[in-house]
Amino acid sequence: MAPDEADLAQRFAAGDPDSIRVVYQSYGRLVFSIAYRVLRDAGLAEDATQQTFVQAWRAAASYDPTRPLGAWLTTIAKRVTIDVHRRERRHRGHDDIDGTAASELITLPPSVDHLDDVAEVHSALDELSSQDRTIIRLQHFDDLTHHEIADRLEIPLGTVKSRSHRAHRRLAGVLVHRRTVNGTIDGGGGSDERG
Amino acid sequence: MNEDDLTPEEIAELERVDALLADPSLWTEPPAELQEKVVEAIAQESGRLRRRRRTRYALAAVAASVVLAVGVTVTVQQVHDDPVQFSATVAPTELAPQAHGDVSLTRTQSGWRITLKVEDLPRRDGDEYYEAWLRNEAGQRVSIGTFNEGDYVTLWAPVSPAEFDTLTVTREVLDDDPGPSGEVVLTAHPQRR
Repeated sequence: MAPDEADLAQRFAAGDPDSIRVVYQSYGRLVFSIAYRVLRDAGLAEDATQQTFVQAWRAAASYDPTRPLGAWLTTIAKRVTIDVHRRERRHRGHDDIDGTAASELITLPPSVDHLDDVAEVHSALDELSSQDRTIIRLQHFDDLTHHEIADRLEIPLGTVKSRSHRAHRRLAGVLVHRRTVNGTIDGGGGSDERG
Repeated sequence: MNEDDLTPEEIAELERVDALLADPSLWTEPPAELQEKVVEAIAQESGRLRRRRRTRYALAAVAASVVLAVGVTVTVQQVHDDPVQFSATVAPTELAPQAHGDVSLTRTQSGWRITLKVEDLPRRDGDEYYEAWLRNEAGQRVSIGTFNEGDYVTLWAPVSPAEFDTLTVTREVLDDDPGPSGEVVLTAHPQRR
């Protein structure tokens, strides 16, 4: 762990209330991503994110600050999110079965392995520069061609191609590095089942 | 993308996460106000924990003083006066046979705060909702609130459950009739704790 992260983990484990905002700022988006991946509803994902941090705070005394805080929070987030999913499926499934939101929730949640993938890729993207993330987002999430990205960003096509190549190379490098170093994922290490 | 300078391992990683990179979960940002909600929820949680600890310490101190003052009658007074409370298990009718849960009623300065926790009660939306009532022996009814689903409902009543001792929940439809529909799905008879 980086010194800053180790210090933050120590403060959180010791119950320092001033650490809460910093922990949220560091891991709130990660936790929200995991919740959104399963629940597909921003409101429910908000609830699950809030519950995750409250449960983490309750269990802070049992957290070993030498272990990655992100992995520990990811473990709690997965459990909380699956609980919220089950609750919603139970309640909406009976009576709103034709509703869009309900039918989405009736489907099974992604497996734990897939949630680990979300945590892994999310953490890897966080290591990239804002410019690299933007290119990857436009290409994959917004499904734009290089020409369309060039128009959107008002930059030459050749620049888009070189930035895209660089961004993907960095992302691949981070993913390979994390797998090699950690054996698993740092932000969402599924091996830590405490909490 | 020119893949010439990527290792096979890196190419495999990019192929593995390709579909995930298009998933909204990676790109949807939490609302800005969520941070304050989280901080506030944890502050409330910390307050609850502190109060529990204070009460435990106070009770332990009282118990210790009792042991030390053998032979002396000591009136133990709790740090916080216990509020008057009623509670009951709710019973379902044939209109919601799977429903189960409990209800607790606490006297406060503002009136009676009623917490209803019911599972497996189908949610009602749109023009359809649930309404809860308290009824006395003379058949007088007071509406104590409306809700969509029974997971965790807070209701308020201006009358005491000691007199209005039957709680019912009815299925209602938005119309011009403010009275109960008669479609009772839950009943309870709260008793003082």
